[in-house]
Amino acid sequence: MLYLFATFVVLLLMVTGTRGLTLLFGLGINVISVIALLVLIADGFNILVTTGIIAIVILVVAIYMNVENGNTANTAFQTSLLIMAFILLITIPLEYWAGAQGMGPENQDELESFSLAAGISFPQLAIAIIVINSLGVISETSVAITSGLNEIVSNKPTLTPTEIFNDGFSVGNKILNTQTNTLLFNFFSATFPLFFLIHSLGYKFTDILNDKLVVAEILTTLICTVGVILTVPITSFLVYHKANKVKLKKTDN
Amino acid sequence: MKKNIRLLVIVGLIVLLATGLTYFDSFLYHDPVVKVENVVITSKQTSTDEYKNTDTEYTQKVRAKLLNTDKKGQTVSFRNTYYNSQLTDTKYRVGQQVILTKSGKGYAAKNLKRDTPLVFTFGLVIFLLYCMKFDRRKLFISVLINVVIYFGYLQIIIGTHNSILLPLTVVTALLISATALLVILGPTYSALMAYSSTVISTTAAILLSVFVLSMTGYSGMHLELDDFELQPYLGVFLSQVLFGVLGVILDETMDISSSLIEMKKEVADVSAKTLFKSGINIGRELIGPLINILLFIVIAENLNVVLLYLSNGNSVSYTLNMTLSLGIAQLLISAIGIVLTVPITSFISSKVITRR
Repeated sequence: MLYLFATFVVLLLMVTGTRGLTLLFGLGINVISVIALLVLIADGFNILVTTGIIAIVILVVAIYMNVENGNTANTAFQTSLLIMAFILLITIPLEYWAGAQGMGPENQDELESFSLAAGISFPQLAIAIIVINSLGVISETSVAITSGLNEIVSNKPTLTPTEIFNDGFSVGNKILNTQTNTLLFNFFSATFPLFFLIHSLGYKFTDILNDKLVVAEILTTLICTVGVILTVPITSFLVYHKANKVKLKKTDN
Repeated sequence: MKKNIRLLVIVGLIVLLATGLTYFDSFLYHDPVVKVENVVITSKQTSTDEYKNTDTEYTQKVRAKLLNTDKKGQTVSFRNTYYNSQLTDTKYRVGQQVILTKSGKGYAAKNLKRDTPLVFTFGLVIFLLYCMKFDRRKLFISVLINVVIYFGYLQIIIGTHNSILLPLTVVTALLISATALLVILGPTYSALMAYSSTVISTTAAILLSVFVLSMTGYSGMHLELDDFELQPYLGVFLSQVLFGVLGVILDETMDISSSLIEMKKEVADVSAKTLFKSGINIGRELIGPLINILLFIVIAENLNVVLLYLSNGNSVSYTLNMTLSLGIAQLLISAIGIVLTVPITSFISSKVITRR
């Protein structure tokens, strides 16, 4: 495994040169943040508050270390924060409703030697799982759409809000497609062992539709898609707002 | 505009109707389904285990009305115990629908009925898509075709008892990436370029990683600890890597090749060398965010089991070793793929574009 890591580092430096060091540094901070999150939750800190704080740290690193244009980075960061807040807002009632927390009967073999009275709120952890799952997708989508839109706006500064929204959707179409693919293929990756096991357990269709693990995976994929979809209007709004502010300042002078 | 609002209202109503229907679909179930009417906690016991985890075990007596079977309308009651942390058990609340099984003369809770929130969330995604001016048709077609392919894949691995898992995964990966590219880019040269780059990069990354890993005999990797300990271990692991990384590599190859095509349009006599260099420059910016996407997906996937290990008094390093070693290996192979994609795509695109 160490060799695998070494292979990655060598290839990264060969392809990206010194930029690779910044990349490695950013990844390192993200990994450390995640480990900190795990340890804090295990120590009994409130799961949702801890996840929220660590998620903000991760977004700062993921966006500001990867985007050189300050204006784009600011808009993308604001978008990501709003999306994350929205994801929390819809995930909390949905998880409460669906009760798809923790592990299912399919995990029984793995759980044999464990004390199940863990003292951790797994319903809250289920919400944290969806938020963390979305972080990478959300930050990438918001950066891609912001930089695409900013480029259009800087070329023709007299855009109306409708035009900016239309441009947002034309930039967003392709990104929505590729991100949905990423989410969908990762759903395939996570669920084929599960479905294989479910078959050997002889589940009926209605059992599968209500199965805790299946529902949890589908909810994660769907809620992340909601985040990607909402990135477009929010980014368009923020970009329009900022372009207007700049215009007002110019007329003041 | 009026037409849009009418369409939106229709979609909204269909979503609400579908969600509502799942609320009354208990007649489709073989097992008895009940609606909880009253819950009384009959005992409560707080305990602290050897790892200093404090948890409370509750027993609740649930009274509920049968919604299906020939005893429909009758009231039944059952007992349910759960820990406050609810790792594998569930606390039932008034108003929830619960699927039961018969145990002796009485009933026992089997599972929560979750199809209503599931359909609602699905409907929410569809509704949001209709609220906005996205090109929905393309999205629906590609998702639908890919889900059908995945369904076929599942049927075959089940039918062959997982014996030809890896070759099947490769074929499926080839099919789903072709579908995605054809729907997004259409049958164009750039789709073909992106496809060949994706295939070559992914193959190179996996072969290289398997070579490096086998040199050390897969030391430090707990292949046997994959999801549900499904066999063959290596096949399952590589299949998961392949599906996981495919989406981001497709994203990357499409970005690089379409930017280079744009460049050729603007500067007609651009040389292959210049194109290759710009490809590397564009790709360099993509690597970080794409690795991040997979990093968080992989971590989130394992969060439950990581916290179970940690709360059972295991050290952080032992926990990470047991629960995340496969995830980290998956991430490293994916990262190698993401990095390799940059020069491979730039090379292929620059050659093909200048030749045409």
